[in-house]
Amino acid sequence: MKIGNHLSRLDESKLYEELSRSNLPATKRWYAGMAALLLVVLAAVAVFVYMMFVGLGVTGLNRPVMWGVMIILFVFWVGLSHSGTLISAILRITRATWRAPVLRGAEAMTALALMVGGLYPLMHLGRNWRFYYILPYPSERQLWPNFRSPLLWDAVAITTYLSGSLLFLYFGMIPDLAMARDRATGWRRKLYSFLAAGFRGTHAEWRRYHVASTLFAVIIIPVAVSVHSIVSWDFAMAMVPMWHSTIFAPYFVAGAIYSGIAGVVAVMVVLRKAFRLEKVLTPEHFDNLGKLLLTFTLVWGYFYFSDYLTAWYSRFPEDWEVIRSYSGHYLPLFSLLVACNFLIPFPLLCLKRVRRSIPAMFAIALVVNVGMFTERVQIVVPSLARRNDPSIWGTYFPTWVEISFIVGSIAMFALIYALFSKLFPVVAISDVKEQLFHTTDRTIGGANLSTVVSGEGKEGGRET
Amino acid sequence: MTAVEPRVVVGMFSDVEKAAQAAQALLSLPLPEENVTTISSVPLPDGAVVRDRRPIRFPWIVVAFWLVGALGGLALTLVTYQAYPMITAGKPINTVPPAIIVSFEGGMFAALFATLILGFRSIGLRPFRSGKRMIFDPRIHEGKIALCARVDPGDQERLAIEAMRAAGGDAVRAEEGEL
Repeated sequence: MKIGNHLSRLDESKLYEELSRSNLPATKRWYAGMAALLLVVLAAVAVFVYMMFVGLGVTGLNRPVMWGVMIILFVFWVGLSHSGTLISAILRITRATWRAPVLRGAEAMTALALMVGGLYPLMHLGRNWRFYYILPYPSERQLWPNFRSPLLWDAVAITTYLSGSLLFLYFGMIPDLAMARDRATGWRRKLYSFLAAGFRGTHAEWRRYHVASTLFAVIIIPVAVSVHSIVSWDFAMAMVPMWHSTIFAPYFVAGAIYSGIAGVVAVMVVLRKAFRLEKVLTPEHFDNLGKLLLTFTLVWGYFYFSDYLTAWYSRFPEDWEVIRSYSGHYLPLFSLLVACNFLIPFPLLCLKRVRRSIPAMFAIALVVNVGMFTERVQIVVPSLARRNDPSIWGTYFPTWVEISFIVGSIAMFALIYALFSKLFPVVAISDVKEQLFHTTDRTIGGANLSTVVSGEGKEGGRET
Repeated sequence: MTAVEPRVVVGMFSDVEKAAQAAQALLSLPLPEENVTTISSVPLPDGAVVRDRRPIRFPWIVVAFWLVGALGGLALTLVTYQAYPMITAGKPINTVPPAIIVSFEGGMFAALFATLILGFRSIGLRPFRSGKRMIFDPRIHEGKIALCARVDPGDQERLAIEAMRAAGGDAVRAEEGEL
């Protein structure tokens, strides 16, 4: 089969070198960057230890705003994690032809963002050393988790999602690990040999591998939807104004996918620049991701407006007071949210020129994530600050302790992502090769087009 | 009298068409379809060179594991309600919606791990493999396709080598090992 692409099947070793550039020996600059990130993470850990000793009083949490930055960060990072696996699974199932260079980066983003996000409910506990009380184990103290609590649903769902995302990431990497095993030396060879589990690439292995990876993708999609629905039920099950809403689960899922796609775009831009993946991650990929982002800008806007409209129209006093605060004390927050999540990205993403511009897409991705973080703040804080009884109304502003957690979470994500990309290929090499293998040039009239062969082989024929 | 150990004839091909020709020649020797396979760095469509007709049934077992996991989740919540009851109006409350959520997550958790383990088993990866030497050639990463045929030593081996060479195979040789 003729491969009409800049990455020819005939120079596969060059292709491997090009796509596994992230695994080259670390440079001094890389070490310096890692050291800086590690310092920030260690500083945040030190602040956390300080908070453990002194108590939650060092945060801005107060009556009635008992949930603050730690819960906001939890929702934000879980939301960010949402899209990676989901996009990857959907693209795998639909066999989208542009999927290959995006898969690994997106899957890694999910697993690593979830690791960061999962820490915050534990940090928020106050008596963090008793975190294991949430586990169902026979206890002499007659302690047993209360399954009626949405917080416990969280523990169950996040455990499932984190395990599933890690397995999905690992299983998708097996052919690449086998490829790396045959080229690596020393400890890397031992590591890749162990993880590749003896995968060779026989016809039967590939066929079964495809069935298993499709099955993983099918299973992980409902898990991804359930996990963010359950995060939303942490809020929606409480009799708090603007939280107790039937639309909260799909609204949260839409918001999570929205911020997740923006996260994938940002990560892809950084990977492209850092590992010189310009030939693989082309403006075409960003155009497609931009269309997805545009779709979810509209979906998010629709859900947000529906939620807002119902509360606004009914004018229940407790909801109304929260809505009033959006145009009063929380006006800057509300304006930033609407601007970053809708007013700025929507018109820009309609323009093909913007979607194909990588700096513009990076900027939009950051703007959307600032907007989504602000949205999490707006969900948590005003509703608690304007709870049903005006005599307990209050305000909340994070202290330096919580701000250090925000900075620490970003540094931790960057640190573990950088370590991951140093150890493992950040591009799904075998998927890229498969895509190239199925791509051929075709001339239609005066146009020279790349066409993709798809489908399974049929009895008596070679390929559909 | 000792049984004759089968051997594997391996040939390297630079394109799919040549490998397909060689595979056809091997099948017309005749060799059974399940004795001929390819090793490649890219999945080749079924039937492009060789065909694998063995059914893949493990997804059904994954469904069974899902049910087991879901029942585990259900049991966990129901037993908790009974063992640590919240007595209301003289009776313990058994709440159904949380049981559904925990059952769903339990089912998914079991299905994910079952997919990994059964996928490994079906593919025949290391934890489920005998300690025998497996046939492999790292040149597949340079774009070559390794066509492999399990043959009996003697005439069948010689004919298979000739068929592969005639179709344009490089480095054709017979090895001992598992396909």
